[in-house]
Amino acid sequence: MFILSEQQVSFILDDIRRNGIGLEELQLDLLDHICCVIENEMKPDQNFEDFYLEIIPRFFKRKLGEIQEETDLLLTFKHYYAMKKIMLISGALAAIGIVVGSLFKAMHWPGATPAFSLSVFILSFIFLPVLFLLKSKEMKVKREKITLGIATLFGILVSVATLFEVMYWPGANVMGIISLGILFFLFLPIYFFGGIRNPETKTNTIVSSVLILFAAGFIFLLTNLRPSRQSHYVFAAAIQQIDKSYEFATKQNTLKYSSAANDSTKSQTDLTQLKYACDSLCIKIEAAKNQIVDFASSGREQKPDLEMLLSDNAGKYDLPTHILFDNKDEPKAKLTAIKADIEKLKILLKEEFHIADISILNIDDVDNPGNAGGEKISWEKSKFFHVPFELVMINFNQLELDVRMLESGCL
Amino acid sequence: MYSSELIKGTLKTIILKLLSENDKMYGYEITQKVKELTGGKIQLTEGALYPTLHALEAQGILTTKAVNVGNRIRKYYSITKTGKKVAAEKVSEFTEFMNTMVYLLDLKLNIG
Repeated sequence: MFILSEQQVSFILDDIRRNGIGLEELQLDLLDHICCVIENEMKPDQNFEDFYLEIIPRFFKRKLGEIQEETDLLLTFKHYYAMKKIMLISGALAAIGIVVGSLFKAMHWPGATPAFSLSVFILSFIFLPVLFLLKSKEMKVKREKITLGIATLFGILVSVATLFEVMYWPGANVMGIISLGILFFLFLPIYFFGGIRNPETKTNTIVSSVLILFAAGFIFLLTNLRPSRQSHYVFAAAIQQIDKSYEFATKQNTLKYSSAANDSTKSQTDLTQLKYACDSLCIKIEAAKNQIVDFASSGREQKPDLEMLLSDNAGKYDLPTHILFDNKDEPKAKLTAIKADIEKLKILLKEEFHIADISILNIDDVDNPGNAGGEKISWEKSKFFHVPFELVMINFNQLELDVRMLESGCL
Repeated sequence: MYSSELIKGTLKTIILKLLSENDKMYGYEITQKVKELTGGKIQLTEGALYPTLHALEAQGILTTKAVNVGNRIRKYYSITKTGKKVAAEKVSEFTEFMNTMVYLLDLKLNIG
């Protein structure tokens, strides 16, 4: 048996490297294999180099580098399976999360937001990108890859925009508009004009384009169509009317305080207490209102007027509920502080000013309108929990007015 | 000698079956063993053998051990526990395939 010298082994290794075998493990395999062939098959009278050149073509069809290419392809295929697994698992998780999140949200159970956020995160940043990578590898035409990339981008933007909308984070509308822009002006034209050129895909492309157009159009209409302008005028007018009454009552009270300051029959201490109690309560109510308004107008460069605010947020009950109630549906500190202040004011009105009827400041538990079984709900929940934006604003304004009316009664 | 198209589809099964019956083997040894067992009717090409060995190693079906042989390194391939299960599945799948082919071709021959 022929024994190869160190120099001959180096020669073979160099030749393997030179001919496109880059993977070290593969170099070692081929080196040993070629050495084995030479050692076992070369006849004593044959020349090493001649024999090497004779046997090396049996390792390939065109060039030695084919082995490296084939290995790379198979190794990528291994990742293909792992990626496919990741895609399927993440897809299933995202689907479960969205179903659970939606169900919990509809039933007002705690845990809806984390489930929904997690599923959107998985969908946008794991499932869709992996889906794109896998599918784009299967595609040979560049145009198809671009179309798929745009569709993926659209999908990611839509799901993230939905998450932002649900979480009341700023930027949801901008993202939604950008994603629809991508769909209508980028994806659909490329998809449509690319598909109709090919007679095989022509019909499918037209049908799919029409369906996509309708689906996107419906989403746009459902999310962006406002209720009639008339209802905003009505709500805005109602709120403004209460505001006017409130301002009037406040002004009248200020005048009455001035006159009462010179009235020796009235206790100045009680008056100071009354003013402090009413003012601090109204400040707290204003702060809560402002927080809701700020949240509702986040994302806008300029603070919207009342009508615009109502136009954007009419019917949205989640927004004030999110500001005023915690994850366990219990009122947050700002609301309990308002209730506590009302309680204090009522005691003051009863004990110091002997006002007999203070029923307009009723903060007792009330019958649950949706439940005839006798179950009662708290004042906070009856006025503000899952109550639409416009009615929350009216309830707060009415409360402020009631406070000023009772204050006026004492003066 | 059989055509490379026929061998290509069965290469993985052949490698796994051989390695499940032998403790460890190196590439050249595998080609020689197949040649010997089939009387030269099946000759594995190096261009197909090594990419498959590397892919099987990456999938955790095979493991390797490097041993110094003279002035070069030889990589011995062994089958893992998972690999043995895969080998059994591949062999059983191929047996079923062969039965189907026999049935299918006989049927066609009868019709013809």
